Amino acid sequence: MFASVRSATLLGVRGSRVDVEVHAGIGLPGFTVVGQPDEVCRESRDRVRAALLSSELPWPTRRITVNLAPSGDRKSGACLDLAIAVGLLAAQGLLPVEILSQYAFIAELGLDGSLRPVRGATPLVLATIDRQTIVALENLAEANAATVTQVFSAKTLLEVVECLSGRTEWRKEILQKTLIKKSKFVPDLADVQGQPVARQALEISAAGSHHLLLVGPPGAGKTMLAERLVGLLPSLDDNQAISATMIHSSVQTEFRNSGLIRDAPYRAPHHSSSMVAMVGGGTALMRPGEISLASHGVLFLDELGEFAPSVLDALRQPLEQRVVHLARARTSVVMPAEFLLVAATNPCPCGEGTPGACTCDDAARARYLRRFSGPLLDRFDLRVAVSRPNTTDLISPIAGESTSVVAARVAKARSLAFSRFGGTNSALTRQQLDSAAPLTKKAEQLLRKELEAGHLTGRGYHRVRRVARTIADLTGAPQMIDETHLHLALLLRVDLASGLRRREMSF
Amino acid sequence: MTLLKHHDPQTAWAVVQGRSKPDEVVSAMLRVEGLVTLLRHRATQDLQDQIERRCIKAGIKITIFGDENYPRALVADLAPPAVLFYFGDLSALNSRRVGMVGTRSATASGRYLASHIAHDLAINDVCVVSGLARGIDAWAHRGALRALESRAIERGAGRLADRPVGRLAVRAAGRPVGVVASGLDVVYPRENAQLWQDIARHGALVSESAPGSPPDAFRFPLRNRILAALSEVLVVVESRDTGGSMITVDEAQKRDVTVLAVPGSPRNIASNGTNQLIQQGCLPIIGAQDVLVALGLDNRRAQENIYDPRVRLSTSDQNLVSMMIGSPFTLDDFVIRSCLATIDAAVSLGRLEALGWVVENSGWWEVIEVRQPLH
Repeated sequence: MFASVRSATLLGVRGSRVDVEVHAGIGLPGFTVVGQPDEVCRESRDRVRAALLSSELPWPTRRITVNLAPSGDRKSGACLDLAIAVGLLAAQGLLPVEILSQYAFIAELGLDGSLRPVRGATPLVLATIDRQTIVALENLAEANAATVTQVFSAKTLLEVVECLSGRTEWRKEILQKTLIKKSKFVPDLADVQGQPVARQALEISAAGSHHLLLVGPPGAGKTMLAERLVGLLPSLDDNQAISATMIHSSVQTEFRNSGLIRDAPYRAPHHSSSMVAMVGGGTALMRPGEISLASHGVLFLDELGEFAPSVLDALRQPLEQRVVHLARARTSVVMPAEFLLVAATNPCPCGEGTPGACTCDDAARARYLRRFSGPLLDRFDLRVAVSRPNTTDLISPIAGESTSVVAARVAKARSLAFSRFGGTNSALTRQQLDSAAPLTKKAEQLLRKELEAGHLTGRGYHRVRRVARTIADLTGAPQMIDETHLHLALLLRVDLASGLRRREMSF
Repeated sequence: MTLLKHHDPQTAWAVVQGRSKPDEVVSAMLRVEGLVTLLRHRATQDLQDQIERRCIKAGIKITIFGDENYPRALVADLAPPAVLFYFGDLSALNSRRVGMVGTRSATASGRYLASHIAHDLAINDVCVVSGLARGIDAWAHRGALRALESRAIERGAGRLADRPVGRLAVRAAGRPVGVVASGLDVVYPRENAQLWQDIARHGALVSESAPGSPPDAFRFPLRNRILAALSEVLVVVESRDTGGSMITVDEAQKRDVTVLAVPGSPRNIASNGTNQLIQQGCLPIIGAQDVLVALGLDNRRAQENIYDPRVRLSTSDQNLVSMMIGSPFTLDDFVIRSCLATIDAAVSLGRLEALGWVVENSGWWEVIEVRQPLH
């Protein structure tokens, strides 16, 4: 007897279709799973057997072969359990084989016959988009939000069998698509007192998606600022939301806020993170790394200098290409990595940085700065010095604007940028820059002077122009870029090593 | 020499004077007559040979207490060094002498002031004595050397670097004297190697330590005592509340040397020590003129000769500059204190930088202080 049941497994952030073929034939009673299952997958035999027996369904006393087609690809995870169980029942003639072609099954089985949620429900359901899919109750919300096809859920294996054989109806609440979305708590920008420049830098960074480096002594509020950047970003559009949900779904079994991710994600990995944790890979599943999890949101690296140099340099390629391409001997996957990089670092080993207060000698400072490779530092469009706010700043007359006020300006500037070339200002190519960011005569002179003085590199020249474009958009000057915009753009590019070079004094 | 090997220079001096007893090892040797003579002869001879070889190799000269060229300022001192090793010409010390000390991690304005005060003193024929450490010390020496150079250029003698070792500048300006802690052939800190050479060429470089002595921590306070003893007036440009400069101040006070301090903003950590000194009654100075007055060289009525090539600022810019004078500031500080919008503040700062009134240093800004009053 033979049955074929549709299911899916996870690779990277995508699901791939798997047909579970079950053959129950004459021979010594036994159970083999073929088609490159991994350890968890192979263990499904014991789970399925216990689930069947607990549900008082028969376990066949025949020679059973389960093939996971296509047999060339490696399968992993427990998401095939339900499909194997259904296949076994169909192969024994307990379920009508012909109706199985309308369904796909994605769930893990508990020993008591219950359906358990799996990681990656969103990408898995998207892989079986041509059929009605059955998932565990806990996965229903996220599976339902991502796809247009019907998704059913059940609590137990017995319930699935009853529904498939037409004795009962699928649960009613499944059709209900409206979901209460609990918005995450996002800290407000109004909490930041003083620090007008850092606030402005956050605004520019959010408006133009410019990578931001905060340089300052401990206690200056670098982390506090970075956490507030995510609130300034607009909520994700449909494509971004599905992409973000797919990525996050593939690392966790259940969503707290259920449904699609609409808020820009915020990830702040510790500086001891390994290369694999950062870019992805690791197991046969190819787990997405922090850069993918931060896609369409903010990746915050605190204490940038403490990260392993290899980890930091691994960020360079995804920063340019906006995807990460991981190749292994058996598989290769492409995962999105469209993140806004925000990093914080101390200005020198002692952390003070203020000339006169710093106790580091030049050699120690040079050694410290060597930890950040030049190419990486160059990719930060905005490099801002942050100082500790003192009492006078805390009671300064400049009151802090709240996140909602700034976010409105950011949204306006972003829509201006999108109306030009359909992307953020940081994504403007050199050719696009000339038409999108024309310079006034004075601005051109200023840039020429900076280039001649050696304060700007060729790459820096274009980056400054992109930042100036964003500043102009924010200040309501959508056409020409004049020298005021450029002055600010130049000041927000602190050169960490300038203190080491400019030691000569003018007489 | 044996004595120097077993004792620090102060005790050695006491032993030579007969005021103090040599320690056990040496006194035991002294008791066995024959052995002593032999040992003493060989030990002194060996060490002497060794030091002499090093001195000859490096071109280091030696002066011993009682010699003709032994600095007279040290003869009557509380703890005169028994022997001095030197490069250059000790007659540099025959003019009026001002010691200049300060922190090693100085602010840009501290460095600027140190070099300017030293420059103006040297122009007025005053010998600037300093320790050749990082920071203030080095900048004081640079200022003094610059004075020699500009005087030489006035006389058509060309730049210092182009000139062979010579005495063209002998009477031109006060020559710098460096008092260092390590042996004269051990350059420390290494970054000052060129300065070290220039001072040895055009002034004098003095050390109490034998050639080859490493820059051990204990040598620095001893060096500071010589520095204080050589100064008629001691100027502290920038100093924290602890550190080498404050040791020098203590030594100067023991010797009744006038101590002058450059005041700084109370917000500036690098000026904590000097501000405390002023609080305790030490005279504040704001320029070389005040030091000259302290030396009795009052030429306030003489025509001033200061040239500031920078463009005069508009009133609003002057206000901005005077608002930020004192301690290093960030763009944040500037925006808050000036109450300008960030973008306008950026434009102002960019303009001031282009005009040379402020300078940036890894995200920190400092006003290059004017040598004339702002009004």
